[in-house]
Amino acid sequence: MEFFLQQLVNGITLGGVYALVALGYTMVYGIIQLINFAHGEIYAAGGYMGVILISWLFAQGFPPFVCLGAALVLAMGYCALLAMAVEKLAYQPLRQSSRLSVLLSALGMSIFLQNGLMLTQGVYDRAYPTEMVQGGFELGTVMISYMQCIIVGVTALLLVALNVLVYKTRIGKAMRATAQDKTMSALVGINSSRIISLTFAIGAGLAAAAGIMVGLYYGSVRYDMGFVPGIKAFSAAVLGGIGNITGAMLGGLLIGMIEVFAAGYISSEYKDVFAFIILIAVLYFMPTGIMGENVDDTRV
Amino acid sequence: MATLELSEISVRFGGLQALTDVSFCVREGDIVGLIGPNGAGKTTVFNVITGVYQTSAGQVRYDGTPLRALRPHKILALGVARTFQNIRLFQNMTALENVMVAQHCRTRVGVLGAVLRLPSQKREEERIRQRSLEALEFMDLGEFAGELASNMAYGLQRRLEIARALATEPKTILLDEPAAGLNPAESRDLMHTIGRISELGINILMVEHDMKVVMGICRHIVVLDHGVMIAEGKPEEIQRDPRVIEAYLGNELN
Amino acid sequence: MKRALYLLSVLLLASFVVAGCGKKDEKAADAAKAGIKIGSLGPLTGQYAADGNDIKNGVLAAIEVMNPEMGALGPVTLQAEDDACDPRQAVAAANKLINEKATAVIGAYCSSATIPASEPLIAAKIFMITPASTNEKVTERGMPYMFRTCGRDDDQSKAAVKFMTDQLKAKNVYIVDDKTTYSQGLADNVEKLAGGAGLKVLGHEHVNQGDKDYSAVLTKVKAAKPDVFYVSLQNSASAAPMLIQIARMGIKTHILAQDAVYHPQLMELAKKDAEGVFLTFGYTDKETPSYKKFAAAYKKYGEPGAYSAYSYDSTVAYLKAVKAAGSTDPEKVKAELMKLEFDGASKHIKYKENGDSGSNYVIQVVKDGKFTNYWNPETGELFK
Ligand SMILES: Nc1ncnc2c1ncn2[C@@H]1O[C@H](COP(=O)(O)OP(=O)(O)O)[C@@H](O)[C@H]1O
Ligand SMILES: [Mg+2]
Repeated sequence: MEFFLQQLVNGITLGGVYALVALGYTMVYGIIQLINFAHGEIYAAGGYMGVILISWLFAQGFPPFVCLGAALVLAMGYCALLAMAVEKLAYQPLRQSSRLSVLLSALGMSIFLQNGLMLTQGVYDRAYPTEMVQGGFELGTVMISYMQCIIVGVTALLLVALNVLVYKTRIGKAMRATAQDKTMSALVGINSSRIISLTFAIGAGLAAAAGIMVGLYYGSVRYDMGFVPGIKAFSAAVLGGIGNITGAMLGGLLIGMIEVFAAGYISSEYKDVFAFIILIAVLYFMPTGIMGENVDDTRV
Repeated sequence: MATLELSEISVRFGGLQALTDVSFCVREGDIVGLIGPNGAGKTTVFNVITGVYQTSAGQVRYDGTPLRALRPHKILALGVARTFQNIRLFQNMTALENVMVAQHCRTRVGVLGAVLRLPSQKREEERIRQRSLEALEFMDLGEFAGELASNMAYGLQRRLEIARALATEPKTILLDEPAAGLNPAESRDLMHTIGRISELGINILMVEHDMKVVMGICRHIVVLDHGVMIAEGKPEEIQRDPRVIEAYLGNELN
Repeated sequence: MKRALYLLSVLLLASFVVAGCGKKDEKAADAAKAGIKIGSLGPLTGQYAADGNDIKNGVLAAIEVMNPEMGALGPVTLQAEDDACDPRQAVAAANKLINEKATAVIGAYCSSATIPASEPLIAAKIFMITPASTNEKVTERGMPYMFRTCGRDDDQSKAAVKFMTDQLKAKNVYIVDDKTTYSQGLADNVEKLAGGAGLKVLGHEHVNQGDKDYSAVLTKVKAAKPDVFYVSLQNSASAAPMLIQIARMGIKTHILAQDAVYHPQLMELAKKDAEGVFLTFGYTDKETPSYKKFAAAYKKYGEPGAYSAYSYDSTVAYLKAVKAAGSTDPEKVKAELMKLEFDGASKHIKYKENGDSGSNYVIQVVKDGKFTNYWNPETGELFK
C-alpha cells in the first residue's frame, strides 16, 4: 500500500509534466492539424531559459519563490514568442501547401532548434541550482518532496488557467471556433492567423513551464532533452484524443502513471514499452483516443 | 451610406467560368433577392463578397472601400455578415457560445487580461453575454441558450445561424437560402423575421429558391444563370421577363 | 507592422545561432598536411558528450606534447569523430577514419561502440587504443591491433565486492544498471561475485539509458533498505539525477558507483547530493612528474575527466612506438608498442599480449566536492 501511494505521488508529478507538454501538441493539432515536431525543442528552450534566469536570480540572493516565479513568467514569455516566430516563418507561409510539406518544415525546425541549442549552450548538461528547493515531508509513510509539491501546484494552476481561458473567455471561444471551422470563424470576424499564432504561444508557454520544472526536478538540462519527453507527450496527446484539451491532460497523467507503475510493479526497463503497449491497445479499441471525437471536415 | 457595390465580377475555377461580369448594388435599406437555378453562381457571389474566394476580374466595394485585398475577418469588421446554405454552426458549442463567438471582433481584452480575470475582462464578458442573449431573443431562441448546437432541431439551427450573423453587428447581411428545408409555417415566420431585421436598418442580400418568400419580401431582384446576370429589377418586372421565365421560372413551372 | 513582426521572428530564431558562431573548431586548421593522422572516437554530442570530449582533449594535449619530438615523421594531427555512443554511428565513423587514412584511433567511450567499431579498424590494420571501454570483451577477441589503457570490469567488480564486504561490512546489496554493454556487464559481474562473498543481492533492476526519472526504482530500494546500493550507470549525467533523487527520497545507505561516473560534472550537477558517494576507479598518483606534465598540457581544456589521462597516455604510447619504429608501418609499430614501458600520467604503462595494460582499481569517495582516494583493495587499508 505504501509502495502504491508513493508511486501514485510520483506518477502524478511525472504525468503533470507530460500533460503540460501534451497540451501544446494537441492544441496545435486541433487548430491546424499539424504535428508540431519542434514542440519538444521549445520545451528544451524553456528549460534552458529557466536555468539561465534562475541561476542568475538565485545568485543575486532573491528568495526561491521569486526566482521560480520570475523565471517561469519570463521563460514562458520567451518561448511563446519563439513559437510564434517559428509558426510565422516556418508554417504560416505553407498554409496553402500540402500537410506533408508543413510536417517536413516542422521536422526541419526541430533539428534547427536542437542544433541551435547545442551551438549556443554547449553539449554538456547544465546544472540547475537544486539547492534552491530541497527537502520534503512524510505523509504517513509516503515521501513527498517540496519540489513535487511545486510541480503539482504549478501544473494544476496552469491547467486551471488554461481551462478558464479556453472555456470561459472570448479568446478561448475564438480558439475553439477556429479549430472547428477556420473559414466560418473568419466569417464571424475571427482573425484566424492571430488565433493560430496565439495557440502556438500558449502551448509553448506551458511547455516552457514544464521544461523549467523538469530541470529543477532532475537537476539539469541538456540540449537534446526535448526529444524523449516530446515523443511521450505526443503519445499522451494521441492517447487522450488528439485535438482534445481534456484528453491531453488525461493522456499525460495516464502515461505518467503507467510509466511509474510499470516501473514499480513490472520493471523499469520495460516502462516505455508498457506505455506504448497501452497506447496501441487504446487506439485499437478507441481509434480516436479516450476523449476523441469525430470532427467532420466541413469545407466551404 | 452602407452600399455594397459589385462591378464586373468574374470568377474562374480552373476551366469553369463560375461568374462572368456580374454587377449590381445593395443600397441602404434594400432587401435584394439573388435568384437563379442550381449552380448559377449565387453562393459564389457570397463567397466573393465575404473574401472567401478571390475574383479573377472586377471589384467589390463596400462604402467605397475595395474589398479585394481584405481577409474575411476584416470584411466582417466593416459590417458584412453572412449565413450558409448548408448550416455551418460550431457544433461543439452551445447556442449562446455560438453567438458570443461572433462578438469577437467587436471586443478588445487580450490573453493576459482573460487569464487573470481582470475586472475589465469580466465586464466585457458580461456585456458580450448580454448582447448575445439579446440576439438569441430576437430570433426567439432565448430558451435554447444552453443547448449544444448539434442537439438543436434543424429549423432552430437555421435561426441560430442568423442570430450569430446578427451578433457581429452587421450593416449588411447575406442570407444563403435561409428557408431551405423549412416547413411552410417556419418559412412564414422567417419572412416575418427578415422584415424585422430590415427594420433594424440592416441591408439584406438573400439567395432563395422559395419564390413566395422572394417575391413577398424582396424589393429588388437579381437573376443569375450560368454565372451571367440575365435580369435585374423589381419583383413584378422579373416575373414578366421572358428570359427569366425561360431560364429559370420556366424550368420550375413546367 | 507586418515587416516588424517578421523581423522580430527572424531575430528570435537568430538567437539560436549567433552565440555559437564565436567558437570555431580547431580541426579544420591543419588539414591536408602530410604526417601522422590520429583519429579520436567518442560521443561528442548527446548525453555522454562530456566523456567523449575528454577523450578528444586528452589526445589533443598529447599531440601538443609529442609533436616537437616527432621530427620528420610529424606533424601529428587529430581527426575527431562523433559516435554518439551508438554502435552504427561508431562503425560509420570508423569507416570514415579509414578513408581519411588515420593510422591509429583513440577511443571509443562506450564498450558497445568500441567493439563494433574495432572490426573494420583492425581489419584495415589501424590501431585502436581505448582509454575508457572497460568491458572484458574488448580485448578478448584476439584482435592484433586492439589495446586498452584503462582497467577491466572483471577486476573492477572484484574491487567493488571486496570493498562492500571487507570495508563496509555489508550483508546485502541492491543493484541497478542502465543496460549498456559496460554498465550491465559490470552489474552482472558484481551480482555473480556477491554470491560467493556472502553478500545477498536484494534486487537487480535495469533502467533505460538516458532515463532521468528513477522514482520507481528508488521507491523499491527505499523499501528494501540495503546496506549498499550499487549504481552502475553509463555516465555522470545519468548518475547525477539518481543521486539527487536518492537524497530527495531520504534513502540513507552507502552508494557505490564506478569509473564511468568519475567526472567533475557529477559534483556540478548533483552538488552536495554527491557527497559521500563511493566509486571504483583506477588509481592515479597526481604527484608524479608525468601527471603534472599532462595536467599542464590539459589545463586549457578545463578539469580532466575520468578518461582524459588515459586518453593522453594512449596517444603518447602510440606516438612513442611510432617514433621508435621510425614509420607508421603497423607491424613495426606493434612490435615497438609491445616493447614499450613508461610512466604515464595515469599509471605505469606496459601492454600485455592481449592488449590490456592491467587494472589498479581503488575506492574513491566524493569529499568536499572532490574525488578523493579512500580505500585500497590491495592492502585493505584506508588511504591517508
Ligand atoms: N471551390 C470551387 N471549386 C470549383 N468549382 C466550384 C467551387 N465553388 C463553386 N464551384 C462551381 O461554381 C458553380 C457555381 O456554384 P455555386 O455558386 O455554389 O452555385 P449556386 O448558385 O447553386 O449557389 C458550380 O458549377 C460549382 O460547381
Ligand atoms: Mg448555393
